[in-house]
Amino acid sequence: MMDIALYSLVDDMVSKAGTEGVVEYWLRVGESYAERMGKEAYVGWPAFNVAMKEGRTSLTIEGEVNVLTDLAITDKDGDVIGYVYALKTCPMAPTMIRFIQKIGPIPDSDEDVADSYNNRIRDSAVSNYCITHQRFREVAANNITVAKQPLECLHLANKGRMGEVKMLQENLARINVDDRHIKSILRSASCVFALIVKGKSAGEEIAE
Amino acid sequence: MAETIASNPFVDVSVFLFFEDISDKQGVEGFTNYIVGQAKSLAKSVPEEEYDTWEDFTNAVVNGESVLSSFENIKQISSNGFVTNVCPFSKAIREYIKRLGNFNPVHMEATDHYNHTIQPSAAHSACMMHQTYRNEVAKRIKIGGKPLQYAQIAAKAYTGKIALPPESWKKVLLEKAGISETQGFMEMRENSCLYVLYIQD
Repeated sequence: MMDIALYSLVDDMVSKAGTEGVVEYWLRVGESYAERMGKEAYVGWPAFNVAMKEGRTSLTIEGEVNVLTDLAITDKDGDVIGYVYALKTCPMAPTMIRFIQKIGPIPDSDEDVADSYNNRIRDSAVSNYCITHQRFREVAANNITVAKQPLECLHLANKGRMGEVKMLQENLARINVDDRHIKSILRSASCVFALIVKGKSAGEEIAE
Repeated sequence: MAETIASNPFVDVSVFLFFEDISDKQGVEGFTNYIVGQAKSLAKSVPEEEYDTWEDFTNAVVNGESVLSSFENIKQISSNGFVTNVCPFSKAIREYIKRLGNFNPVHMEATDHYNHTIQPSAAHSACMMHQTYRNEVAKRIKIGGKPLQYAQIAAKAYTGKIALPPESWKKVLLEKAGISETQGFMEMRENSCLYVLYIQD
């Protein structure tokens, strides 16, 4: 029932704090959620990927993740700097289904808040919940080290309830992965992201 | 029956955190107002119901066909006494503790605020949402043309603490439910919530 309440809460919040206010609340919730999960350290990528597969990391509390080890990201020297991961089911999917079944159509405020985020911050939300979810991942990744190097989460693409797709070209370019490949992964996933060593890219290193 | 599709606990926990963020900005009063306000909005979104007889209504409730039982499995224990075995928020509360540790004290502060300013019936902040939802949904149900009435008797928190109304109210509510105090305590050993549903004569 807690999750169902989210839609009426957002509806209420939009009328009092506006869509921009709700976006700010969601961003802070994502940050505090990730910060309260604590720090994690792994000796290397194999250990980290096994933990991801087994759902033992703070990142996998959102649901089952496909670890795409065939999509290793390498830097200009050929060293592995990260991998691509696909979240099988959006955490909001069961709530959406139950809300529609028990209450009725999803309120317009859901899309209004997502649009506010897409227009002002980053064009990557297909529902209002994506705001907190994507922020959570980004902050949680910073609290994980692999071989003593902190991680960075690059959101790549996600798919909405009605099949709409959001894709971040700048992040795809940074890891040098073709968008058609990501689209094919989205056929059986709701969200695709990359975890790489902070500050690295498939080409040149990013200056801090 | 209720809860046919399980929610993702990731979402449940983030809603608790949303309320904590509200309390950072607007205090315990803001927390309480939002949780009560959104429960009212949610209840107003559900379809209205009408039943010819009390038996038709109770059958729908215990079979999970009424909006009152959309999120919980309700059992009838007497003519007007009803219980919920498993609190629909228990999974979210368990996941919060498992993932983040102790509950932020603001939840108990908001619960105390609710108990002092609205009614002394909540054992946890989630009860404020749940009881407001039940109260508002009851107004949308008519039995033989009369609106359904709801009153909370007891609610058990995850700590085991039971929230009870003042003695004078308790006596009236138990009588209305058609159970004794001892029966009420026996029910609270097995269940998370005890309440009375009735129509005004």
